[in-house]
Amino acid sequence: MTDAEFVRAYDIVGADFTNAGRASTGIKETLKNMGLASALIRRVAIAAYEAEMNMVMYARRGTMTLHVTPNDVTIDVRDEGPGIPDITLAMQEGYSTATPEMREMGFGAGMGLPNIRRNTDEMVITSEVNQGTAIVMTVHVS
Amino acid sequence: MSGTAGTGMTSGAGGGTAGARSLAEVRAAVNGVALWCPDDAPAVTGVVAADLMSDVLVDARPGYVLVTGLVNVQVIRTAAIADLAAVVFARGKTVPADVVDLARQMNVPVFASHDSLFEAAGRLYAVFGGGPAGPGMRRQA
Repeated sequence: MTDAEFVRAYDIVGADFTNAGRASTGIKETLKNMGLASALIRRVAIAAYEAEMNMVMYARRGTMTLHVTPNDVTIDVRDEGPGIPDITLAMQEGYSTATPEMREMGFGAGMGLPNIRRNTDEMVITSEVNQGTAIVMTVHVS
Repeated sequence: MSGTAGTGMTSGAGGGTAGARSLAEVRAAVNGVALWCPDDAPAVTGVVAADLMSDVLVDARPGYVLVTGLVNVQVIRTAAIADLAAVVFARGKTVPADVVDLARQMNVPVFASHDSLFEAAGRLYAVFGGGPAGPGMRRQA
């Protein structure tokens, strides 16, 4: 890997369950091709996948932008959607506002945001009700 | 959704009394039919049984087999993201062609079993050294 920062953006479409997970799969493949350690790739992929599923379930649309430097892998997640009124509550394991339809897809267990935190070294979440949510998540390479 | 949805129970080979098993052993234990499996020799390091994919992402380790009653494409994407060895669809459910197609595309072996989720998990629990003298079924910290 060179010192230059690698950047790639992925568009996410709300309620598109058929393609949900494709962006995270793409991120995982990209990191594999860069030769990063498999354990690190798995952490990033799981965090990205949880964030992607959250956007598909709740937001109208969003983007995930992958940034890779020699030191860090960062994913910048931004969506247009309902926002999160109480982030502290949303970070609690098991808290969920998912609909039965979301649960039928196997998601909405209230583990998404906690699982992002578990798999990343840094996680900053900001949200504005009726505007959207942003999550910047970072995993250190070394 | 089954009554055991979201339990996220796991039985791994980390307890010291059970080693890795092959996909062929897993398939035989649950009387599974291979829907797509180009090679059943790869090692399986443990098992996770759940219908909630977020629980799978928390509990599974690389090389685990996922046993689930959920049948949709998100199961395959979850297995691929989490580096799982294979998926066993329990409860005799019909697995749609698009799910098998995605499994092939993402290189995730998939099996179908008529066992209930409880039965399949129980049989695999025994295969992986569970039971009174075994390492036990534990939720990974």
